[in-house]
Amino acid sequence: MNFTISEEQQSAQQLAQQILSDFTDVDKLKVIEQQQENFDTGLWQALAKAGLLGLDIAEDQGGIGLGFYSLTTLCEEVGRTVAPVPVVPVLVSAAGTLRRFASNTQQDQWLPGIASGTTLISAALEEYNNDDPTTPSCSAQKMEGGYSISGTKICVSQAPSAARILLSAQTDEGILVALVDPRAAGVTLNAQTVTTGETRHELVMAKVQVPAEDIVATGSEALAAMDWAHLATRTALAAMAVGLCDKMMRITGQYTSEREQFGRPIATFQAVSHRVADCYIDVECLRLVTQQAASLMNEGHPARDAVQIAKIWCGNVTHRVSQASQHCHGGTGVDRDYPLFRYCQWARQIELTSGSSAQLTGELGQTICAEYLSKAG
Amino acid sequence: MNIELTAQQKGLQQEVREYMKTVMTPELLEELKIPEFKEGGGPEFRKQYARMGADGWIGLSWSKELGGKELSHIEQYIFTDEVVRSGFAYPFLTTESTTPVIAANANAEVREEVVGGVKQGKVVIAIGYSEPNAGTDLASLTTKAVRDGDDWIINGQKMWTSLANYADYVWLAARTDPDATKKHKGLTMFLVPTNIEGFSLTPVHTLGVRTNATYYSDVRLPDKYRVGEVNAGWKLITGQLNIERLSLFTHGQVDSLYQGVCEWAAQTAAPKGGKLIEQPWVQHNLATVKSGLEVVKLICWKQVWAMDQGPLNMADASVAKVYSSEFFVELYRLLLEVMGQAGTIAADSPGAVLRGRIEFRWRVGAVLTFGGGANEVQRDIIAMAGLWMPRTR
Ligand SMILES: Cc1cc2nc3c(=O)[nH]c(=O)nc-3n(C[C@H](O)[C@H](O)[C@H](O)COP(=O)(O)OP(=O)(O)OC[C@H]3O[C@@H](n4cnc5c(N)ncnc54)[C@H](O)[C@@H]3O)c2cc1C
Repeated sequence: MNFTISEEQQSAQQLAQQILSDFTDVDKLKVIEQQQENFDTGLWQALAKAGLLGLDIAEDQGGIGLGFYSLTTLCEEVGRTVAPVPVVPVLVSAAGTLRRFASNTQQDQWLPGIASGTTLISAALEEYNNDDPTTPSCSAQKMEGGYSISGTKICVSQAPSAARILLSAQTDEGILVALVDPRAAGVTLNAQTVTTGETRHELVMAKVQVPAEDIVATGSEALAAMDWAHLATRTALAAMAVGLCDKMMRITGQYTSEREQFGRPIATFQAVSHRVADCYIDVECLRLVTQQAASLMNEGHPARDAVQIAKIWCGNVTHRVSQASQHCHGGTGVDRDYPLFRYCQWARQIELTSGSSAQLTGELGQTICAEYLSKAG
Repeated sequence: MNIELTAQQKGLQQEVREYMKTVMTPELLEELKIPEFKEGGGPEFRKQYARMGADGWIGLSWSKELGGKELSHIEQYIFTDEVVRSGFAYPFLTTESTTPVIAANANAEVREEVVGGVKQGKVVIAIGYSEPNAGTDLASLTTKAVRDGDDWIINGQKMWTSLANYADYVWLAARTDPDATKKHKGLTMFLVPTNIEGFSLTPVHTLGVRTNATYYSDVRLPDKYRVGEVNAGWKLITGQLNIERLSLFTHGQVDSLYQGVCEWAAQTAAPKGGKLIEQPWVQHNLATVKSGLEVVKLICWKQVWAMDQGPLNMADASVAKVYSSEFFVELYRLLLEVMGQAGTIAADSPGAVLRGRIEFRWRVGAVLTFGGGANEVQRDIIAMAGLWMPRTR
């Protein structure tokens, strides 16, 4: 049992911290927010140059191969700075899945470009009322030289600029995982403004022809790939939430220590300081379950329950810390000239992405039921 | 980062689990039903406690000099977790928190008598801090010890002196300097043998357990029973309290309740067909418990791991106390809800679920949030030590 990360991983995290904070002062964030894509390409290049886009990409593919855990610490730092960079869809859901499940040719084709920041591969794991990419309602039909895919994915990050979008569809013989070119015939992208303020896209596919070389996996391999993508994405979101909530709570601790009412800092009211202390407890709980999920994923050990539990905590803690932070700030907390609102928007976004706490609690309950019914015989 | 027990640690866990099955004899289970012996102290309890001593299970964390094995905090936690899970009324506060402090600070003769006795499973020590008017604000205690030649004369009353009814000593905090500039600077620690003249007690029956009010009326105590320097008691008290918390909130004891209820709900028919565990609301409660339990496990592991690295961070220790105490109470409710009316049936009545253990645990649960340092005080510590916020007033 060991709760520390290696020195290499630590320096990667510190480097990330430094680059991210250099790029995320309020003025810079405001400029990026004016743009359609809400993506700081300068920052992305800086991360690429530092090797940080390749944390979980093998060395012979241009990465530095520190593994999945290390990548989650990058996600944590992105959360801490609310940096406008798509680390979860591109580096975790897409690149992480390709690294583990794509053919060598496909890996050689895409991973070096992701690591160097020249290519974006996004992922589209969610459909309306379905966050589970192992049970897509999009369908795929085998055809000469590939598949034809139809159906709709939602809230896709970086859809117009991505070279390909990783997604799953149902065939007559199980699911498949494909890389869809958003410029291909039959693809329609409809802009969707989401809670963070970003523009994402509804991806509508009408008989989109995907060549065989862009099919990543079929059958049981495809199932394993989407299962991994699902768990990894949830874990990465929880890690992002750790950074996000830790920062919100610290902003609130500092603000209440300085803001005076009734002739004293409002933090000297126990009712106020205890609400912030509760955030501290929540964040520590979230950190622990997230570290557990990430380390199990990193080791390739069974992680389903641990990930579900991490995402349940993630949803609950993002909500509670966000509301407590706003409350303890009074009006300042909701003012767009003050940094907190961005964190609150991201908190809600993450809470509702890849399964809410209520849904996951229900699913975990079903798992428990099955486990104990089978034990009872 | 690797948050799993090693093979060796799992081996220890299994070894203790198996051993404790031999401690929880049918005779002991019968004895625990007698109200007087519910918290230990009966003849069978004494016999098994002494057996654990003879078998070398007591004081695993102590230094080799004291006859211990200097186990790491992680290993020590694994032991504690399993012993609590077994349901044996092992006197942790004696073995893990007071005795090491006594060993480090008592005079040689008393150390031999008390520490040696604990090691053999023959000595139990009660804790005499709280008084009718000194609870959370412990440093305001007024039980007085006055020097008289080679002795001390002790007068006063303690409240909630648990186990004093069968303990061999009371680990007593007394005021020795009534004029100290700060009230926590005038306190000294003593070991009071419970058979000494002038000591008496009356039972206090609580919602859950039995505890005691203890009285000290001109108790003449030889100076050898003083532990540590005069007026230097506060450090010994706080050192002891920090360790105390680690044995109060362990994972196994509540995990076994969760598992027990899951098993029960998987065997019990639901009113409209199927098993109880197939009801969505039951699943919701069980999943909520499981998510919370996972954190209890991780908080415990993280704390003992951190203690093996160096001193425990103050805010983290308080996080563990607040989270665990509040979650335990929540867990009792969520599991009792699953049992419904059957959850109210007390131990030994027909129909009691899991031998009425959760019904009973709810009764003792309330103490957790104000005992061992009220949660408000812990939250004050978190805000100050964890977030650098100013002291509340
Ligand atoms: C079953 C049982 C067994 C016990 N065993 C022992 C034992 O063996 N030895 C021993 O010495 N003691 C023992 N205790 C005593 C226990 O340690 C005290 O109950 C505890 O310290 C709280 O003190 P109190 O009961 O006087 O409550 P109080 O100190 O009066 O506190 C009551 C409430 O006031 C509030 N409060 C207090 N201070 C603050 C603050 N600074 N800020 C905000 N709110 C505050 C909190 O809500 C607190 O819960 C036992 C108690 C029980 C019930």
